[in-house]
Amino acid sequence: MLGHRHSSLWHMILAPTVWAVHFCVLYGWTAVQCARAGGPDAARTGVLVATAVALVAIVVLGWKAWKQWDYLDDFDYVHDQPTTEHRREFLGHAGWLLAIVSAIGVGFNALPAIFIRSCL
Amino acid sequence: MTDFADTFPPRGTRSDAEPGDPQPQGIYPPTEEMLNAPVDPAVAKAQENRLRAVWKQPQGWRYWSAVNNSEVGAWYSLTAFAFMLAAGVLALLMRVQLAVPDNDFISADRFNQFFTMHGSAMMFLFAVPMFEAISILLLPAFLGARDMPFPRLSAYGYWSFLIGGIFVLGSVLFDVAPNSGWFMYPPLATEAEGPGSDIWLLGLSFIEVASIAAAVELIVGVIKCRPPGMRINLMPLYAWYVLVVGGMILFAFPPLIAGDFLFEMQRSFDWPFFDPERGGDPMLWQHLFWIFGHPEVYIIFLPSIAIAAMVVPTAARRPITGYSWIVLSAVGTGFLSFGLWVHHMFTTGLPSLSLGFFSAASEAVVIPTGVQLFAFVATLMVGRVKMILPMLWIAGALAIFTAGGLTGIMVAVAPFDWQVHDTYFIVAHLHYTLFGGMIFPIIGGVYYFYPFITKKKMSDRLGRWAFWLMFTGFNLCFLPMHVTGLQGMPRRVFTYPEELGWNALNMVSTIGAFVTAAGVLVFAWDLLRPKSRQPLTERNPWGGGTLEWAHDVPDPGWGARSVPYITSRYPLWDEPELVGRMDAGRFYIPDAPEGKRETIVTSAVDAVPQHVARVTGPAWCTIVAAVFTGGAFIFPTFHWYLPAIVCGVLAIATVLYWLWTSTAQIPEAPMKDAGLGLRLPTYVSGAKAPGWWAVFITMLGDSTAFASLVFGVFFYWTARPDFPPEGADHANLALAALAAAFVAASWGATRIARSQNRRGNVARTRLLLAAAPVLALASAASLVGAVWLPDMDPVSHVYPAMMWALVVWFCAHVLLGVIMQGYCLAGSVFGKLTPRYDADLWNTALFWHFKLVMGLVGIAVIALLPRML
Repeated sequence: MLGHRHSSLWHMILAPTVWAVHFCVLYGWTAVQCARAGGPDAARTGVLVATAVALVAIVVLGWKAWKQWDYLDDFDYVHDQPTTEHRREFLGHAGWLLAIVSAIGVGFNALPAIFIRSCL
Repeated sequence: MTDFADTFPPRGTRSDAEPGDPQPQGIYPPTEEMLNAPVDPAVAKAQENRLRAVWKQPQGWRYWSAVNNSEVGAWYSLTAFAFMLAAGVLALLMRVQLAVPDNDFISADRFNQFFTMHGSAMMFLFAVPMFEAISILLLPAFLGARDMPFPRLSAYGYWSFLIGGIFVLGSVLFDVAPNSGWFMYPPLATEAEGPGSDIWLLGLSFIEVASIAAAVELIVGVIKCRPPGMRINLMPLYAWYVLVVGGMILFAFPPLIAGDFLFEMQRSFDWPFFDPERGGDPMLWQHLFWIFGHPEVYIIFLPSIAIAAMVVPTAARRPITGYSWIVLSAVGTGFLSFGLWVHHMFTTGLPSLSLGFFSAASEAVVIPTGVQLFAFVATLMVGRVKMILPMLWIAGALAIFTAGGLTGIMVAVAPFDWQVHDTYFIVAHLHYTLFGGMIFPIIGGVYYFYPFITKKKMSDRLGRWAFWLMFTGFNLCFLPMHVTGLQGMPRRVFTYPEELGWNALNMVSTIGAFVTAAGVLVFAWDLLRPKSRQPLTERNPWGGGTLEWAHDVPDPGWGARSVPYITSRYPLWDEPELVGRMDAGRFYIPDAPEGKRETIVTSAVDAVPQHVARVTGPAWCTIVAAVFTGGAFIFPTFHWYLPAIVCGVLAIATVLYWLWTSTAQIPEAPMKDAGLGLRLPTYVSGAKAPGWWAVFITMLGDSTAFASLVFGVFFYWTARPDFPPEGADHANLALAALAAAFVAASWGATRIARSQNRRGNVARTRLLLAAAPVLALASAASLVGAVWLPDMDPVSHVYPAMMWALVVWFCAHVLLGVIMQGYCLAGSVFGKLTPRYDADLWNTALFWHFKLVMGLVGIAVIALLPRML
């Protein structure tokens, strides 16, 4: 359904989708642990595990996007030609940039679990 | 130069493998030689006359039946502007009241109505509709398309908006306006006397539905209606923003609609969703509201900044710098903005760990938001800037927005927010972001696009006056509010005592408000003053590079004389001969021999031509449908349920008439000559058809609303100790299982009907389509029984109420699905739906895919989940 990543908008937004899932997991997990079970330590551990998983996923997606962008091939970063190559490289470039933003976002979201030790 | 060889004819996908699907034939892409071949002037003239006749606007009183994007877009934006002026008057009256301490210019209750209506109208009746209006007006031109894919849907959305807007805003004249603040927090809003809260809920739900309709249309427009050759990496940036914002609307508005649904059930039937005494929780409303409310801010901001992305390259006279970076910025902001909603709820006592997540996401969103501003600055730095008037507005916008963004970073830090929450500091912050992120870029855009829209120019001198009045007035009004807020003045107070020391600051703000208003008036005069004696503008007055400036002067109504083949991001700069070829009818669909309105549909990523789509023409049924839909939403405000139901039925009947008479019509021939040696199908079904995409996108939004209800169940479980209450009756398991079996069977019958129909087994198709609605109704009856039998009383506690809400949702969708199945059955019987021409059946099957998943999840949540909690 997603199509080939060279011509797929869905692949471009996979990294931010990982961010979104990670965010929901953090919110849901913390809410459940703080309200129903576990407590702060379980909440924080879960956050860090989810973050590790999300970061690995984003690094893999980012690496694939980087390969698709193929920057070191011709050092092209404009992608404004009406060719299959430019469309592929554009989607790769945008996907790679989105992976970076998503990684930063995931990292940011994990920080509270490092600094805050209570559910209050 | 181009290499489409690998994509034309389009590679076979699963849907293509179905027998009987006509494929595009002939030459694509066109060769330079073909594009150079002259068109016989006599032929061109005849084509032009036929096109002109087909796209002619209705005259006289019939003008109001027009559905063309240029008409509907203009009405839409002027209506939104009128609502904005009205909401602005409310603001001025509030500023008069606050100018001096202990003032009694307006009463406390009226003041409450005014600030509620000011916020609600600015958000729901101006900011979001303005995006839709401007996009409907401009998007087809950016894409060299003739019109939006579903013109009548735009018109229906507009008339719904007009009716709903007048209803909601009019309430303020009768002293019954909602008065609990634009976010309607329960218990204040649920307990409020009079119809105010109901007017807000039902009136605005009605408009939200219209917004989603517009979002669907805009997304399909961007994905499927680009001109041949305009690959995804060549798309104008405005289209990227529209795509992102359309997607955001699909995920942001439905939670509010779900919230409205729960809220109205409490107001009308006393189901205790937000009543803590019976297990409810007012916090659920806050969550649902802000899951909508925060992305909403970006839904407003992104399309306005998209205008900047069109103006900046023209002003800098060079292509935008960092196209990919701006795409990153739009998409990244679109995602991250959904992780911010709790920063409106920092003071509600959530665990500080949770607050931290939202604080972090609120800081992170600055990165993508900032990237696009840097890209604009970079473009200006490397370009040869000509300081045209629209650029002045954009520059002012960037300055104001940056200031608002900086205070945004401050209030994203929870401890700082605790200090300034609900003070005038927040009022200052949000007005800086909205004026900088919306008002200024939009006005800049109006100056920039006015020659395109009306073929006349606005006054440069008045424009500069308006700018400087608004810029100084705005800062005079809102800059002091930061200090007023830090000195402790709370929001929404109707007056304040003299000795608190807020007097001078408030007086300055009031003076600033009136200076701003003077600027708005100058702009409004310049916009609306009669210009009949003014000469027409030249064709491309600013020297822009994108397709909208290829439009002819005076406007012939057809959008593009012929739909061009595009090979660059700024075709007007890069291909000097393009406009001449478009005018001569050298490109695609230069003619209308069948007397039908048409536009070209292309593939989603590479814009390979797939289909010549017939678009709908002028009609009254859109207005009739909007009036009845309005009745269905407005009568319940006064608890007149019978007229509401009658209106609802009539609205459905009108929509069915509209669909039956004008959509998925069987064409006179399966293929037609699209020009340049290309023959395209005139009818497609499945994933190539714009209608299929519209159903897909609508159902994504619908699923979000459903997910919000499921979120509600989990929310109550985590937030309340008594959900479900000890020893509560649960839904009947056997009946729920039966409901699941029936809904699956109905889905199966619909899906099999689709393939049987394709194989030509018409009798079997009809049998399946006759059985499917019976099965669907049986599933609804079983599920109602499952909660009815154990006597789960929705008034007694939030747990049965929530289960009933899910059942109501399920049944409403069953009804919709049954209507669709019946429509296909009727189509098959009366020859509208044949084995070859089966788009309606594809769309119905697609609806049922979603219905199956939602139905099974819903049944699991109703019958299984509570037993496990």
